[in-house]
Amino acid sequence: MGLFGFGKKKEEKVFAHLKGEFVKIEDVQDPVFSQKMMGDGFAINPSEGVLYAPVNGEIVNVFPTLHAVGIKSENGFEYLMHIGLDTVTLKGEGFKAFVKVGDQVKVGDKLIEFDLESIKEKVPSMVTPLVVTNLEGKSIKTLNTTNVEPGKTEVISVEL
Amino acid sequence: MAEKTFKIVDEAGIHARPATLLVNTASKFTDAEITIKCGDKQGNLKSIMGVMSLGVKQNDEIILVANGNDADAALTELEKILTESALV
Repeated sequence: MGLFGFGKKKEEKVFAHLKGEFVKIEDVQDPVFSQKMMGDGFAINPSEGVLYAPVNGEIVNVFPTLHAVGIKSENGFEYLMHIGLDTVTLKGEGFKAFVKVGDQVKVGDKLIEFDLESIKEKVPSMVTPLVVTNLEGKSIKTLNTTNVEPGKTEVISVEL
Repeated sequence: MAEKTFKIVDEAGIHARPATLLVNTASKFTDAEITIKCGDKQGNLKSIMGVMSLGVKQNDEIILVANGNDADAALTELEKILTESALV
């Protein structure tokens, strides 16, 4: 129970969206992400080709080429996950979706499977950013950066 | 109200980078509400998710609709950006 909030949640916890290595958003090799043009967040360099839900919420976007997924959380924040960089050029090849727009998901639910080994060869990077696209002045805090496990590790929190 | 129709020629459609460009351009016009329509879907052009969720593909037609004092200026600037970035 929070001392000041009397048990009321003041932040939203965001879990790892993949298994792999934490990467600072500023270090992603694409200015759209590193300069936070889409929003603040973090990235993971995946060691496994599965994208998981980082928060409870509703799927609001599955891009036709399956390399990007959007979730709107219970608190109204919108999270965009972008699998790899320049992966739009693959036109969906090597990606398989397990959700569609309108689906309700829970932390750790499988969203997309992708063929990490074969896609890796064709794009500049598989680093997968997760950004909050409607922060509107709210801040995020990094909680854990080592041994990130999807559905288990709280990587960032977003101020409510 | 101002309105303009464009045909998207970029083979990747309106994905992350062009969506960001459009949203950041639209957001500069504080006195304009701008909607993007594609087929039977529509979204707020000042929202990344609003634009991304349309999933605009190559050869899709989009309609930009603007309301407010900045409507005309916004559409002029958006047309410039769309053309410069070879989206249309």
